[in-house]
Amino acid sequence: MSKAFFQVDDLNTWFFTRKGTIKSVRDISFDVSRGEVLGIVGESGSGKSVTGMSIMGQIDEPGRIVSGSISLNGEELTKLDFEEMRRYRGNRIAMVFQNPLMTLNPLMRVRDQMYEAIGAHEDVPRNAMHKRCIEALRAVGIPSPEERLNAYPHEMSGGMRQRVVIAIALLLGPDLIIADEPTTALDVTIQAQIIYQIRRQIDERGLGMIWITHDLSTLSELADRIMVMYAGAMMEIGTTEEIIGGARHPYTRKLLDSVPSRNVPGEKLKQIPGNMPSLMALGEGCPFASRCERVTEICREPVPATQLSDTHRIWCLHPFEN
Amino acid sequence: MNEPIFEANDLSRSFTVGSSPFRDLANHFLHDRQPTVLRAVDNVSITLAEGETLGVVGESGCGKSTLARLIAGILPVSSGERRFRGEAYESLLARKRDALKIQMVFQDPLSSLNPRLRVGEIVGEAAVLHGVVPRAKVKDYVVEILARVGLPADSVGRYPHQFSGGQRQRVGIARALAVKPQMLICDEAVAALDVSVQAQIINLLMDIKRDSGLAMIFISHDLGVIRHLCDRVAVMYLGRVVELAKTSELFASPTHPYTRMLLEGMPKISMQRRKFMPIQGEIPSPLNPPAGCHFHPRCPIATDHCREIRPELREIKPGHMHACLNIEAR
Amino acid sequence: MNIADFQDFARRFAESRSAVISLAVSVLFIVCAVFAPLLAPTDPYDLTQLQLSDALKPTGSKRMLPGEEVRANIRVDGGTASVQPASPTPTRLSIVASPCGPNCLAVGVEPPDAKLASLQVRNLPAGATVEGGRKHPIQPWWTLDNPDSNQARITSAGPLPAGLTLLAIAKSLEQETGFVFRLGTDNFGRDMLSAILYGIRISVYVGLVAAGAAMVLGTALGLLAAWRGGVADAVIMRAVDFMLGLPALLVGLAILAILGNGVSKVVLAVVIVQWSYYARTARSFAISELGKEYVEAARCLRLSPVRIMLRHVLPNCMPQIIVLFTLNIAAAISMESSLSFLGVGLPLTRPSLGMLIASGYEFIFSQKYWISIYPGIVLLVMIVAMNLLGDRLRDLNNPRLDR
Repeated sequence: MSKAFFQVDDLNTWFFTRKGTIKSVRDISFDVSRGEVLGIVGESGSGKSVTGMSIMGQIDEPGRIVSGSISLNGEELTKLDFEEMRRYRGNRIAMVFQNPLMTLNPLMRVRDQMYEAIGAHEDVPRNAMHKRCIEALRAVGIPSPEERLNAYPHEMSGGMRQRVVIAIALLLGPDLIIADEPTTALDVTIQAQIIYQIRRQIDERGLGMIWITHDLSTLSELADRIMVMYAGAMMEIGTTEEIIGGARHPYTRKLLDSVPSRNVPGEKLKQIPGNMPSLMALGEGCPFASRCERVTEICREPVPATQLSDTHRIWCLHPFEN
Repeated sequence: MNEPIFEANDLSRSFTVGSSPFRDLANHFLHDRQPTVLRAVDNVSITLAEGETLGVVGESGCGKSTLARLIAGILPVSSGERRFRGEAYESLLARKRDALKIQMVFQDPLSSLNPRLRVGEIVGEAAVLHGVVPRAKVKDYVVEILARVGLPADSVGRYPHQFSGGQRQRVGIARALAVKPQMLICDEAVAALDVSVQAQIINLLMDIKRDSGLAMIFISHDLGVIRHLCDRVAVMYLGRVVELAKTSELFASPTHPYTRMLLEGMPKISMQRRKFMPIQGEIPSPLNPPAGCHFHPRCPIATDHCREIRPELREIKPGHMHACLNIEAR
Repeated sequence: MNIADFQDFARRFAESRSAVISLAVSVLFIVCAVFAPLLAPTDPYDLTQLQLSDALKPTGSKRMLPGEEVRANIRVDGGTASVQPASPTPTRLSIVASPCGPNCLAVGVEPPDAKLASLQVRNLPAGATVEGGRKHPIQPWWTLDNPDSNQARITSAGPLPAGLTLLAIAKSLEQETGFVFRLGTDNFGRDMLSAILYGIRISVYVGLVAAGAAMVLGTALGLLAAWRGGVADAVIMRAVDFMLGLPALLVGLAILAILGNGVSKVVLAVVIVQWSYYARTARSFAISELGKEYVEAARCLRLSPVRIMLRHVLPNCMPQIIVLFTLNIAAAISMESSLSFLGVGLPLTRPSLGMLIASGYEFIFSQKYWISIYPGIVLLVMIVAMNLLGDRLRDLNNPRLDR
């Protein structure tokens, strides 16, 4: 395994609301290496998006990073002030959201938005900017990029827009791209195209990527490693083979089993009973305990991590045997 | 196949984009440019047998949601006919009590429930108004229906925002069941739900179908869900049905090039990283679809006459139909 | 909305101190409006209470009783004197006379502590004088100016002739009463405090009734436009555009110029101007609600269109409409005041705040500021309070501004 350049250690991000403290992210630790895609999978409320926002330094009131460290190339990001973080954003770390219209300004041509992104961090002559934009658009598989540069976001399809957003993310040659459900809103054929292009860029440029999604199927085809989150906590992390082929955590197993394509058509799906517990009323123990069939009394106590292999870690006291 | 519960012949629905009475008047005198016509559903013919589940699958803009609303009778057709148990919709919809036999479950678990009404009223309102149940007994009746979809009795007095996404979708299903439907249309009913909740709702729908023998039309973009739930599948592309076959047959041996592309693009849980086929081309705008076969710009086997001739849906094997000029039965 | 929701709503509302103050001020104004007849020290509509001598009095001055002139004939007969009042109208003072010695007659007033400007005795015989008095150069009239004792002592060398008839004329000074004009008076001598309280009553009435009627009419038309679409929508919305295109005050002026003034006509003018805001808002929110799936579900449940609109769509548009209502009350109040200021709103006898401001306008440069300033402050506070209230409600309705 190549050396990790990006590390998150014991991250806690909590939201202090009127109704109580929501512990959205609790004790999350992971790292990303160059040329690697780390998938974070979880259901809504699992804290996967908050993890991404914490890395970007975009946690707004009433939330804040309570403890933990985030380091990129050895530099601590949680200590940076707003202005320093702004320089990091886009330049060293870029983010892609589910809805491209969150990133794109509807009133600006693609070209101007791309120029602006470069200009915010570097001083580059216009013709050099132009060349870089064309390259970035070509890299994400946009046909006739010269023409697209002059277009407004509304003149493009959803898939095209998302490609433009990814092109902007690539523009400044970041070390790390965080993608939060980037293809969820897209049709399967378009999704397949974009994933293909992204994988190629990661491999060619040696970037690190964090791909946040609820969709295990997409992850299994794209990610090198997968981290499973539930109710703000890590359940299991390992290589794609270890997670998809040999999941040991009951939650991961259940999640995999509830995907329709892994069930016999026409028969009842294997489902997880119940609902995710409220993030405000979590005890010390395993958050999945209330829905787990292997639960025992000791699951109410804090669960330590178990290292199963160099890459495979699990937070469960009653894991499945392989 | 036994007598169909629902039948659609050459169903079409167009929308005029950017039209208003005054603008139309102005256009009439000034010979301004014609308003754009969007053919959301274009000559679709399908049948649904008693107790059958028909899947309709397609990408965004293919007209599957419009088709759902045409079948539900909440959107008028531009042309074509709809029949429920042999009776044309025009006369059926005039008798409200009978029109209730066709019900629908919607995609968005939040916006499909009126936020100002309590669950008891959401579920019981229509049943009382149409005399399905006397007003005095409605509370017990609603509790009974809620129990069927797995919600506790105290849900009656609560508001939609007090429920989770999956529970809201259960309320939506209960609302449809409360008027004793015979045909249920599910429009992306599990698309907005998490995987584990999605499994719960799919199981619930399967239970309901098994217990009551409801005929179902299940509309989704998710091939995995369609494959799991449906007996037959219709694949739609830009308003037209391009392939229609038994589920097992469609997934085992798709014939239409678009269906094949769709199945290839479908993400599967696999152990090894997939070698992605760079599929080329965007979905054209439904406002201005390509002439002839709508799929020809993206089709690997398109020929010149695909650009001119509209392929009709034809049977290539018993029970397997597709709309492609170039592929014959194998 | 259940109790818990309401409590939550109240808590969120209370997070803005200005909103709480605005609510308190608005409630205060409504109380003033309802209980104006009990709170006001005078009835400004009662024209008989007005006296011109009170006009344009500054803040804090007391109501004055004007000075009066009392006449009486005094007939002296030997040792006695009889007084016959000779004033044409009844008076508060009366004149008394009594002998004060063999050759002495005292003429005084009742009550004795009244402040007199002068006391004059006429027709004194030759040789008789009034102590400390001053004689008229020609006539036999003796006058005491600002007498301290309120008594004229007539003395003569010999006894006063029997059958002598004197005429006594007492002029009293202006006299303060206990009644204080706390906010001064206007040019008719009206107590400003009472006039303002009654003015608030009119403003609140016009604001609530006009904005309410406009809300009902406009919302109904907006829902109709949203539901029917097509021609009905086009006609209603073009009418809305037309109304919104005209300056509100100008429309109000034109309507009142035709109909004449009066409260009900002002209300009508405000409704004609304001319905279009509600129609536009109701239509746009109804259209967005109609696009939601719960409305499709209601259609699929074969509910009647009227039921769908009133039971499902309208309640979901109400929060926005109520916000508009709050803001439009302020606009209605301001419009009524403007029209009254311009002289077409309400009749002179029923002063509203706007008219009070207008009537003080001509005196403001002669330092008689209170006639315009106090109603102006009240109007300002009322409108600002209603606007702040409306803004807060709008913020609470916008989930994006609230966590």
